[in-house]
Amino acid sequence: MSDKPVLTLRDLSIEFPTPKGVVQAVKNLDLTIQKGRRVGFIGESGSGKTTTALAVMQMLAEPGRVASGSIDLVGTDVLALTEEEMRKTRLSRIAYIPQGAMNSLNPVMRIEPQLWDGIIAHEGHMERAELKRRSDAALTSVGLPAHTGELFPHELSGGMKQRVCIALGIILNPDLIIADEPTSALDVVTQRQVMQTLNDIQAQIGSGLILIGHDMGLMAQSVDELAVLKDGELVEHGTVKQIIEAPKHPYTQDLISSVPLVGGDSFLNPERNAEAPKRDSSEPLLRFEKVRKDYGAVTALHPMSFALQGDTPQIISIVGQSGSGKSTMGSIMLGFNPPSQGRVLFEGQDVAAMNAAQSLEFRKNVQAVFQDPYACFNPFYRVNHALKFPFKQFGLAQSEAHTQQAMEEACDAVGLDPDLVLSRYPHQLSGGQRQRLIVARALMLSPKLLIADEPVSMVDASLRATILSNIYDLKDKYGISILYITHDLATAYHVSDYVMVLYKGHVVEAGPPKEVIGQPQHPYTQLLIDSIPWPDLDRAWGGGRSDWDPETLEAEAERASAVYRGDVVGFELARV
Amino acid sequence: MPNYSTDDNAAEAETPVSMTRAERRQARRIRRFDNPWMNPKLIWGVSLLMGIIALGLIGRVLWDPELVFTGSAPLKLPPLGFENLRGQPGVLDHPLGTDGGGRDMLALIIIGAPNTLFVGLLASLIGMSIGIFLGFSAGFLGGRIDDTIRVLADVMITIPPLLILVVFQSAFGDVTLTIMALLIAGFVWQSPTRLIRAQVLSMKQSGYVQMAQLSGASTGHIMFKEMLPNLVPYLFGSFIASVTTSIVTAVGLEVLGLGPQRIPTLGRTIYEAINAGALIQNLWWWWGIPTLLLATMFIGLLLINLGLDEVSNPRLRKLS
Repeated sequence: MSDKPVLTLRDLSIEFPTPKGVVQAVKNLDLTIQKGRRVGFIGESGSGKTTTALAVMQMLAEPGRVASGSIDLVGTDVLALTEEEMRKTRLSRIAYIPQGAMNSLNPVMRIEPQLWDGIIAHEGHMERAELKRRSDAALTSVGLPAHTGELFPHELSGGMKQRVCIALGIILNPDLIIADEPTSALDVVTQRQVMQTLNDIQAQIGSGLILIGHDMGLMAQSVDELAVLKDGELVEHGTVKQIIEAPKHPYTQDLISSVPLVGGDSFLNPERNAEAPKRDSSEPLLRFEKVRKDYGAVTALHPMSFALQGDTPQIISIVGQSGSGKSTMGSIMLGFNPPSQGRVLFEGQDVAAMNAAQSLEFRKNVQAVFQDPYACFNPFYRVNHALKFPFKQFGLAQSEAHTQQAMEEACDAVGLDPDLVLSRYPHQLSGGQRQRLIVARALMLSPKLLIADEPVSMVDASLRATILSNIYDLKDKYGISILYITHDLATAYHVSDYVMVLYKGHVVEAGPPKEVIGQPQHPYTQLLIDSIPWPDLDRAWGGGRSDWDPETLEAEAERASAVYRGDVVGFELARV
Repeated sequence: MPNYSTDDNAAEAETPVSMTRAERRQARRIRRFDNPWMNPKLIWGVSLLMGIIALGLIGRVLWDPELVFTGSAPLKLPPLGFENLRGQPGVLDHPLGTDGGGRDMLALIIIGAPNTLFVGLLASLIGMSIGIFLGFSAGFLGGRIDDTIRVLADVMITIPPLLILVVFQSAFGDVTLTIMALLIAGFVWQSPTRLIRAQVLSMKQSGYVQMAQLSGASTGHIMFKEMLPNLVPYLFGSFIASVTTSIVTAVGLEVLGLGPQRIPTLGRTIYEAINAGALIQNLWWWWGIPTLLLATMFIGLLLINLGLDEVSNPRLRKLS
């Protein structure tokens, strides 16, 4: 065994010639990865993490090119290899587990032959029994039963597919594994399982590992060294301990402090409590009456009843992993998706049976912030169209100048410069700016209820706290009640007055956040909280307890009945 | 002054600091190229079609349109600089020669080429309008209406238009250009309908349409103000494709001797040439010139279509 570093990047620069001139994606990157070390690349989208990894694989997308520098893989100069030599190097010496790897399996092939393809391409044809032995070994090593190889990709869950991709990556014992956000599409529970598999297997074959990601918590739990990238430059590099405990660069400090923790300091500063807008009716603002939603034979939401009074502004959080029915609830509240059974009442009016005038009034009073800020603006119009149009439509505009003034005030309130932002086209703004504009839009219309469906899950980590405090201000300063739908327990802990945890369409635990998230009682809530990766070296998954067993918890969660942890004034959840 | 965040400049493009002369030249070329509507394919295609229209307009002023009538000129004269089988040279009075009925070829194409183009444009304009209307209705309203429109379009797409049109036209006898365009329009609405329906279905799920719904927008507003502008590149592309189809269909009918009997069109000229044995008599200019013009027209349409592809699909733009 040689002591040579697995990967040495010297003065690496990568550039993309574009119609607007040459863009430097990576600038003078110097990095060494030792054998058996796990190195995390962390940074925002566009910081050059993936580009660097692709350059190591010689798989840069056209027209990108390595402008200068060298890439050395255990003594081999990667940039000097011919196309055929590079082909042989890929997988056998460097394995790349791409982003969204679960979609990279061939849907019409069984798992086994997909694993065999890699072996045959590098080592030539061999006995079927030998192939089978090796693929079984690879599958077992990632914790999958050997018979998984005979299944088709669609028969596996997301986490299993991700593990198959890891098996595919390690089947030839590479010197270096590059995992590009391997868990970005998975929920926290599965994320933990997959990351532990990846770390175990890496330790077993003793290769180097590059883990690309944007989640400081996940990095803290998984890697030895951390490289922080910003705009193509390596701004900080060191052991995880150094970086987490004593970050030097302000950007790293931002990244660490932007991860909200359960308990600890709040990133919000509640200043004043605004009164809710005066209401003419004594009916609750929003009431669910035994609402149930079925998609075919699947029940997305089991009968649920609650009433949100709305006399004092409140934030109600609905928490759950994907498939828990939380987004279905959101679209039912907005009237986009009629319930299969039961009624949704807005100030005593059935949302499904409104006439045109009532419907316009309902729209004016119930607004939303959606998950994807990129899709929310019509690419044909300047962004102010999205703010101006509803303002006029709801009869709020008195004059052109009044509209303009309202837009500018709303932009100011969310921390955007109206002169810079309002007259641009959507593609000229970043995701964070767009999402803040959507919040500004909600502010301008001052609805009585805002439904925020995963408002920050597609925004870069450093901006999440800012946008959440913008949303919190809507309640705090403008008296808007908010239903906050999220998978992120830590933010729900801070912003909400009441939390409902949803699991397979049932409420499993509900109550004030300090109790539900602070001291969870239902096994499912406990599992969720213990699966969150914290950016804290002393706090491993499962809280560091040795007897922590996620499988048992999950099995218990199926059986345990719902836990109700006390009420808050103004919100009543019917107990089932 | 409020404290603005720092990511305002995140979307700004980076500008290179110093460049060599070659790079500057490339940057200039790129900048010109940056306006997708100014791509060479589109410019060439439009120029070719405009040339044919200009030929029709200017020709009417500079040349005598009366020469399209039978017997207005000597028979079977070759173009200028050629000799026909009887040894007659081409004359300046009829620079492109004359046909077997004593009609001047230049006058024939001056009148005929715009007629052919007119049929194509009118037919696909009507076809597209039907397509937009049905496509939007099917995609947006869904349910029973969608089923009906989709089945209708799918059934119509399998019927060969020429077969039906031949029957129709023989029944009608002589038709005007407009009626022929109307008949052809009945066969070019299916693919725009399917295309627009598919686009509308995917757009209906998009965030900005949901936002518009939240803003209390009416169905009409969502269809025509939010969705339609984003469909423009597709609509253009589909329009050009159906102009091509319409012209092919119209020429096909004319070459069979159907279609307008007394109005000169390129297809009818070819029909008469074939009928009079122009191929055996080596009167190549009689069928050759209209064929050449048709070819130019199709090449022009093809270039426009390719050019529009680049407009609607930025990935096709190359940094040449």
